[in-house]
Amino acid sequence: MIRRQALLHLLYWFAFAQGGVIAAVLIPVHVLIQGILGPLGVVPVVDRHYDTWVRVLGNPLVKLYLLVLIAVPFFHFAHRLRYLLVDLGVPAAKGAPAQAVFYGGAVLVTLVTIWVLLTTVPISFG
Amino acid sequence: MPANWWTRSRRYFLYVVREFTALPLALWLLWLLVEIKRAGDGPARYSPHGSAAFVVFSVIVLLFALYHSFTFLTLAGTIIHLRFIDRPVPASLIVLSQFALWAVASGVIAFVLIWFGR
Amino acid sequence: MPDKKVTIQATRFDPDRDEKPRLQSYEIPFSDESMVVLDALNYIKSHVDGSLSYRWSCRMGICGSCGMMVNGTPKLTCNAFLRDYWPRPVVVEPLNNFPLIRDLVIDMDDFMHKLKSIKPWIIRKQEIPLGGGEHRQTNDQIDEFRQFSECINCMLCYAACPVYGLNNEFLGPAATALARRYNLDSRDQGLTQRLPVIADTEGVWECSFVGECSVVCPKGVDPAKAIQQTKLDTTMRFVLPFGTRE
Ligand code: SF4
Ligand code: FES
Repeated sequence: MIRRQALLHLLYWFAFAQGGVIAAVLIPVHVLIQGILGPLGVVPVVDRHYDTWVRVLGNPLVKLYLLVLIAVPFFHFAHRLRYLLVDLGVPAAKGAPAQAVFYGGAVLVTLVTIWVLLTTVPISFG
Repeated sequence: MPANWWTRSRRYFLYVVREFTALPLALWLLWLLVEIKRAGDGPARYSPHGSAAFVVFSVIVLLFALYHSFTFLTLAGTIIHLRFIDRPVPASLIVLSQFALWAVASGVIAFVLIWFGR
Repeated sequence: MPDKKVTIQATRFDPDRDEKPRLQSYEIPFSDESMVVLDALNYIKSHVDGSLSYRWSCRMGICGSCGMMVNGTPKLTCNAFLRDYWPRPVVVEPLNNFPLIRDLVIDMDDFMHKLKSIKPWIIRKQEIPLGGGEHRQTNDQIDEFRQFSECINCMLCYAACPVYGLNNEFLGPAATALARRYNLDSRDQGLTQRLPVIADTEGVWECSFVGECSVVCPKGVDPAKAIQQTKLDTTMRFVLPFGTRE
């Protein structure tokens, strides 16, 4: 019933919506704590010390959480920025090549995130 | 249509700002990814980001992040239509519950980030 | 105040003589606080310049034919009070995003085709014979779609929509809202016939939720909501395990 190209758009939108929720609910507190209060020394934060940061990063649940936190919003960003380009007068951002670049970019970020999470600190249950 | 159509009205402009929030948020998450990667540098060489420039950058990102959260949760709340015991749930209640979810999640994450950082 | 005046700047365009539209200024008496922009146009037409062309009919916000840009915002001119603009001049232009025919008259063919393409009538898989009685509905069932049935096809939402301005293949606000009006109607069974149009690439997915359509709608239809809900419903039908993937 729905054309294949339109089905693709349905999936883009679905990923966009998921990413939007994750970004809205999770990102502000990370920016506040890790980007502002931590560096200013107002509160202790896990990533201020090597020991605490590595201990937390080894936890498989934390790895899974970080994957969701970082990877999923990129599907939201990719979608928004592609549409923003169209709005600002770049109709080329509509085409299949642009779709491949933007959503492919989000897939790439996902893969890199998985790779970083699996290779930097070994999984431990400490 | 001229490419600067969005400068013609305040609401158009705010819409473009809303869409633009994606860029600073993406940059900040990429920073987080680097921070994770640097944990592989070993205890001697690891030092967390903390320059004044980075804090200023984070403050700007936080403003965009809050704008995204407010607009996204409000708009999503008006779209979702739920029924509870045969009655449609009012949009204001859905929006409220989403903001509550946001608050609770933020509290839990803040606790974990700080507690395990002692 | 006996001689209060108001300045109206109206678009003039004669396709046989003019290369592009221009604004013409008229100063007319602002005799009555309840005067609307349409009254001013009617005054010009009957007392100043009989050649001024524009559409109108009901003068009471029902027929949807008097939509124009008033100081840059799409408005029903029969519903735009001069007192809200006075003493500034009032600039009246044809609706944005549509081809211009003459003066303040735009070509609405595109919208008419879109309206027809979503089949805005009740579709039954099997017609019930007339003798079979009426299709009954509860108040709750009517509340589901009532808001979306208020549309008067004034096209203000299309004039406000930058997405339509950038790409007039986009199905657009009012047509999608009307499709939703029928899809939500408990008597209707035409969803699968409308899906290929509303859920196509130039259908709801083209919309980036600027939301201006709902701001300018004089009837409280909220087409932006209709579009986003259509996205959500269509997606859910597809991704949920018990969804139907026709
Ligand atoms: S949805 Fe509102 S603005 Fe759009 S055509 Fe209908 S009545 Fe006019
Ligand atoms: S003249 Fe009918 S809506 Fe204005």
